[in-house]
Amino acid sequence: MNATCCSPSTQATPSVGVTETLQKPLYTVTGNTEAFEVRVELPGVTKGNVKIDLEDKILSIRGERQTSTPEGWKALHRELSTVGYQLRLRVNTPVDEDKLTANLEDGVLTLKLPVKEAAKPRQIQVQ
Amino acid sequence: MKLTRFTPSFDLGRVADFDQWLRHPLTGFPAVGQLLGEFLPGAASGRLATDVYEDKDNYYARFELPGVKKEDVKVEVQDRLLTVSAERREKDGEKEQSYSLSRSVSVPENVKGDAIVAKLEDGILTVTLPKLEERKPKLIAVN
Repeated sequence: MNATCCSPSTQATPSVGVTETLQKPLYTVTGNTEAFEVRVELPGVTKGNVKIDLEDKILSIRGERQTSTPEGWKALHRELSTVGYQLRLRVNTPVDEDKLTANLEDGVLTLKLPVKEAAKPRQIQVQ
Repeated sequence: MKLTRFTPSFDLGRVADFDQWLRHPLTGFPAVGQLLGEFLPGAASGRLATDVYEDKDNYYARFELPGVKKEDVKVEVQDRLLTVSAERREKDGEKEQSYSLSRSVSVPENVKGDAIVAKLEDGILTVTLPKLEERKPKLIAVN
């Protein structure tokens, strides 16, 4: 499977009552028959501010930026976005939710999603 | 076997982008960060995006460097030019990919060149450029 990556773009989540702007982080998906690996770039997000959900085959990752601008700092020039991140991916292969692991290091979240035993390809012995 | 992006029901991508542009227009600022090269923020094009701030005592330049290790970042100041270069290594199975990013920002005159410090935390590099004492307002006590 090839790694896919996309350019950053913003997306708005249609939630009830509240309009919230979130940006879609850069991400890479790699995988084989054993497991998927999803790497998401979340600069500025600390461990406690990441929420990962896997529900109805939708893997959803939310990252809040707490440390956007310290108090008293006056912006002279801005290019970086300070809004939070949201990424939603449809998982079309059954994965073992209990064995899902996540690690956030240097602003990069690495998720490992092991493929369910039942969904792995089986070699059938020819008698 | 594939992971595809889930798009709820409509995509406001374009609208939101424009909105963001309205909120953070590329305002020119006199001293720090005279932009070199093109004007569009483009982390993907090998040029780092930056934010510049100031407070009473310091100027601050921030760069997003997700996945970059401390030892792969170089921060240099020469001829009033602050240059940040970073090497990013990514493992893709057996192969290791690496690419470099850099950005230069001009440093104002009232900066203590030898007191500049840099810190990398959660993928964000913050360079602190202390202002010279003389430029700070002095409080004189009235007797």
